[in-house]
Amino acid sequence: MKSTRPVPVAQAAGDHRHAPRTTPRILPLGAVAGAAALALTLAACGSSSSSSPSSGSSSAASGATLTVADVAPFSGVDAALGPTYLATCYGATSAINADGGVLGHKLTCKSVDTRGEPADAVPAVNEMFASTPNLALVIGCTSDEAASVVPVINARKMAMFCMTGQSEFDSVHFPYFYRLVPPDLEESYAMVVIAQQLHYNKVALAFGNDIGSQTFVQPAVASLKKAGMIVTTNQTLDLKATTFRTEAEAIIRSHPQAVMTEALGTADATLFAEIKQLNGGKSIPIIATSAAISPPFFKSAAAAVGASTFASSFHADNLVVESAGPAYGPFKAALLSQQGKVPGTSGNFTTYLSAPGGVHLYDGINLAALAMLMSKSTSPSVYAPDIIKIGNGVPGATVCYSFAQCAAALKSGKSIRYEGPGGPTNFDGFHDSTGIFQIDTYSPSGQVNVIGNITAAQLRAVQP
Amino acid sequence: MSLFLASIGFGLVTASVLAIASVGFTLQFGVTDVLNLAFGAIMILGAFVAYWVNENGLSVWLGLLLAVAACAAASVLLNSVVYTPFQRRGASPITMVIVSLGMTLIIEFGLAALVGGVGVSYTMGNGPTFQAGGLILTGVQIVIMAIAVAAMAGVHVLLRYTKLGKAMRATAANRNLARNCGIRTGRVITATWALTGALCGLAGTVFAIDAGSFSATSTDLFLVLILAAVFLGGPGQPYGAMLGAVIIGLATEVSAVFIPADYKYVIAFVALLVMLGVRPTGLLGERT
Repeated sequence: MKSTRPVPVAQAAGDHRHAPRTTPRILPLGAVAGAAALALTLAACGSSSSSSPSSGSSSAASGATLTVADVAPFSGVDAALGPTYLATCYGATSAINADGGVLGHKLTCKSVDTRGEPADAVPAVNEMFASTPNLALVIGCTSDEAASVVPVINARKMAMFCMTGQSEFDSVHFPYFYRLVPPDLEESYAMVVIAQQLHYNKVALAFGNDIGSQTFVQPAVASLKKAGMIVTTNQTLDLKATTFRTEAEAIIRSHPQAVMTEALGTADATLFAEIKQLNGGKSIPIIATSAAISPPFFKSAAAAVGASTFASSFHADNLVVESAGPAYGPFKAALLSQQGKVPGTSGNFTTYLSAPGGVHLYDGINLAALAMLMSKSTSPSVYAPDIIKIGNGVPGATVCYSFAQCAAALKSGKSIRYEGPGGPTNFDGFHDSTGIFQIDTYSPSGQVNVIGNITAAQLRAVQP
Repeated sequence: MSLFLASIGFGLVTASVLAIASVGFTLQFGVTDVLNLAFGAIMILGAFVAYWVNENGLSVWLGLLLAVAACAAASVLLNSVVYTPFQRRGASPITMVIVSLGMTLIIEFGLAALVGGVGVSYTMGNGPTFQAGGLILTGVQIVIMAIAVAAMAGVHVLLRYTKLGKAMRATAANRNLARNCGIRTGRVITATWALTGALCGLAGTVFAIDAGSFSATSTDLFLVLILAAVFLGGPGQPYGAMLGAVIIGLATEVSAVFIPADYKYVIAFVALLVMLGVRPTGLLGERT
């Protein structure tokens, strides 16, 4: 039994072992290849089953419950996005239902998990149409999956409010596509403005290798150049990796004054921890995108480096959202009424009040519901054009700030202009209504603080 | 140059975590004939056991011990409740792979449903930082490397000098012959599941300590690295798995110095493919 060389566990008592073992050892090699392919296939699988199809050209049966579908990542590295939008959906629909619903219909929310992958998103959306007979609106559609699902949803004549910042939607017309967030490149400029305001001139970039994160990189590089700043290093983070020590060390050795980043899942938290660890316990200031304004992001980052350390070194751009005023009160009440009821949400629930998706999709759901009332139809092909009329308003329109208030005005025969907590909307010919930016920080408890605004002039100044 | 040296240090830390997991995986495969792709899922289960202990105010090192015990039990349970019934019905190796893949999804998504999709971290310090030349290592990373060395030494002693280790080797070589020689192969296999499950729990917890932040699906890519290390060294070869882990660990971290970091795993797998092209049985595998 003794051996003078390394002993394989598969080697044992006698010579007769080799022949019978050869075949079983080769089979699993093929099995691994098969398993890998199968894993990819299984990972690409979406969720549940089907019944009668849905499209935007038909109205729901009388009294039927209408569905708002949250098409977004609920698993994978961007898994925090889906629950954020779902919290909004629960809040908005509960307020609408409390006011009697829409044309005798109650509203409900459904999650459709795209896993943040275009290849997973299309089958998930097709399945959604097949299994959701009274689908009335789609929300979500982030940059992870928008390019693949927007044409599909549009072809089914279903209205959608999307959270994608991809610039292709600035100039391609999809009649059923609506967007209340700016293109990602403007968000890149906003990050550069933050760096300017903090008097940094040497910045490292660390963005995830997903579509949604990489879309920021080239605009940021060009904008930093325009602003006269130096990119010390540009690291792309594999979001499925579990350590970024070499990347962190490369960042530290490039001596940046700040790190611009968007790498969701556990990537940013791990990077921050490793930078702190390798930098003698000191963090490097962080300038993040609006995606970092979410309870899960704060929770994981704060856990990785300590809440106080993270809060003291963090800034992010965010779309201007109201934190007071006539629209904020109903929004806050509606959203907080759903605390503890929304699957998948975690952390400080009040952070959802500032989450960019939360606020703007709340407005999107209200705009769509009011358009249904105005057009007296739940069919997107009928009500969708009225979204713009209600968002942009017409001369002499009554400005209203909540679904209940606006619905009452409509009932009394007035024309309305809805202004929600995301501020006034102004849709262009491509159904884009982009707001302006603010600068957010966190307190150690996870509370979001607004510390300043970014003007359009400041954005233009760093635009390449 | 100093970043290169630093990356070697980082690579050794990655290799340490990978070695514990790879040796456990290859031992399990060698003795039980099950290519258990749920190994990564059990690893992260162990990481969360340690997390729950840590969340309750106890040391993560105590959590590590409980994770080792929990994963040993979970692996034995997995084998007795799932794999053995399939094997008794004559399931083919590829069927067992598919079953284990199914178990991966069940465990991971079950865990995700329980803990959510959010990244979590242990509450622990990293200890002092040690620098020598370009190498930079924290106290915790040095402890992880020490744990890996101890685990490898333990496996070596087990296989070479203990009755159980010899019985495991005999069972791996020819189960029928081992049984005919009086070895209770059923018990040996159960003991192997417990032992490799313990290594799995150990690997999962040090993986999570090393990663800093982890979630229910964090070991997805790591499982592929484990497979790479195992097949690079030669399937069923514990010493090969150790060697494979060092090569993969170093290749991933060192390559990130010279190429864009998001390609570092590509380099590791190119090395694996080249190796398998030259020597299909792996570095320490038997030539047939």
